[in-house]
Amino acid sequence: MKSYLAIAGPEGAPRARILAALCAMLPRVGVADDGAFVCDLRGTERLLGAPLRVARNAISVCGASGGQALSGGLGTTPFVARVAASRTPAGKVSEIPAGGERAFLDVLPLDVLPLDPKVIEELALLGVRRIGELLALPRGSVTDRFGQSAAIACALATGELVEDVRGVAPRRRIRAKRIWDEPVDSRERLVFALRAASDELAEALRHDGLAALRLRLVLERDELLPLRLERSLLPPSAESAAIVRSLRWGLEEIPTLGLVTSAALEITAVEPARGRQIGLFAPDGAHAEEAISVAQFLRTRLGPAVVLQPRIVDPEARLPERAAEWEEVVR
Amino acid sequence: MGPARTNTALAEAIASVEGRFGTHVLAHGAAAERQAGERRIRFGGSLDALTPGLGAGAPLAFVGSGSAGKVALAHRAAAGAQHDGGTVLWIDPSATFDPLAALRAGVDLARVFVVRTRTRDDVLLAAGAALRSDGFRLAVVDTGPQLSPSGIRIDDLAPLLPIVRSSPAGLLVISETRARRLAIPTFSFARVGWAERFGRTTGWTALVAERALFHFAALGADPRDLGTRGALLEQTG
Repeated sequence: MKSYLAIAGPEGAPRARILAALCAMLPRVGVADDGAFVCDLRGTERLLGAPLRVARNAISVCGASGGQALSGGLGTTPFVARVAASRTPAGKVSEIPAGGERAFLDVLPLDVLPLDPKVIEELALLGVRRIGELLALPRGSVTDRFGQSAAIACALATGELVEDVRGVAPRRRIRAKRIWDEPVDSRERLVFALRAASDELAEALRHDGLAALRLRLVLERDELLPLRLERSLLPPSAESAAIVRSLRWGLEEIPTLGLVTSAALEITAVEPARGRQIGLFAPDGAHAEEAISVAQFLRTRLGPAVVLQPRIVDPEARLPERAAEWEEVVR
Repeated sequence: MGPARTNTALAEAIASVEGRFGTHVLAHGAAAERQAGERRIRFGGSLDALTPGLGAGAPLAFVGSGSAGKVALAHRAAAGAQHDGGTVLWIDPSATFDPLAALRAGVDLARVFVVRTRTRDDVLLAAGAALRSDGFRLAVVDTGPQLSPSGIRIDDLAPLLPIVRSSPAGLLVISETRARRLAIPTFSFARVGWAERFGRTTGWTALVAERALFHFAALGADPRDLGTRGALLEQTG
């Protein structure tokens, strides 16, 4: 049976502790865009018991972790569960049964949906104020008039689009700091010095089975304001070389580094590490992902239709330009 | 001086040297000797006997007038770089890369990324990114015909030389003109003979680096390696 549990709470709730408690209790816990915790309970009934019972246990466990005034919602999609949780009194759990989603959502105002406030205002001018009224409109007209986001909102409400619950590991600060008596005055020396810090972070990531998705580097400088550098690692990686490379590219975009006296490097977002399939007889195959990440970087910097790969379609073509097709390496 | 202090001093010295000359410039002697052969990119044929060769951390230029066979042998280098499963980045500002010719030369097109940049800065960015990553075995910069609109010259590539020395990839530059302000190992290409049939040109012979002879067919067949000049002289007495 499809079942999702959402837990919503006030702004000041100790989110890290609640998340850690939920992760210890349930197999798949994620955090939705609105900050609610979403737990995927599909397939857990025999092991953990009925979803309603699991939800009540979760609320009490979170309460023991300092999460007071939390409420829970059970639904067949994460969206329905979230909406239910947000409209349930603190300490209670409400369950929206399968088939009852439309009856529950139709009467709710449009601001429940992820819609731009301007779109909501425009719909109100047209007399559309509730979800049911929006869903009654022809879908094609809604998309034409209000765009892709309105179509996505409708699909969420009808259950055609099910948000993915991305497992989140309990947050642990993975950081390394270096302080130098003699300021570092060149980019190359700084990158070299950061390599040891990156090794340390990579070791911590590997220990936890994680891959870095985002990094933050803060450099303290003599007679200059601290420099803050945020980088994304795509694909996420636990490799020290990938971290160093990303930092190097980031530092190259800064014209004047100044005299750097200390560096604090932190992994600010992680994902579970995934294995890589490499060719048995191709030792360099392990670097294919690196090549793709360079292609991705070049596409970001140089724009589309620049990093290409040829494919022969007709070796016997009379015109040479018809012999091959060009495709983007990264789309 | 204790061992910990020695290690710190050594690490500082390495940092200083690498800071000045680029990362990976220092390697243990025995390891560097052993790896030198492994890092070399093989063309297959008499070009492998010529020095300096093409390999990881080494730049090389193919210089000669148009239709002298530079690109055909660059395709061989790309195929050699792919031999161990490596990927090749081919920077092609003049959009003259011919996939069919590359395929005939043995290049695996699935492992060639062609970057069609337009400006000198973009060429430097693309080549620099490839050389700094571990993802590529060879970066080729084809500056294109001398009068092409991109107007990129071999001298413009000077900022790449310090990068390639510390790179796990090799750099091959194809140019119609010699570098004037750049010290880069160069294989010059010069046509030394034409092949004709029924009054039409069907191919030509080129002397590479003044030592190796290759015969190129006008209709796109694979270049024929005739051997080095020394070997030919020995054979012919």
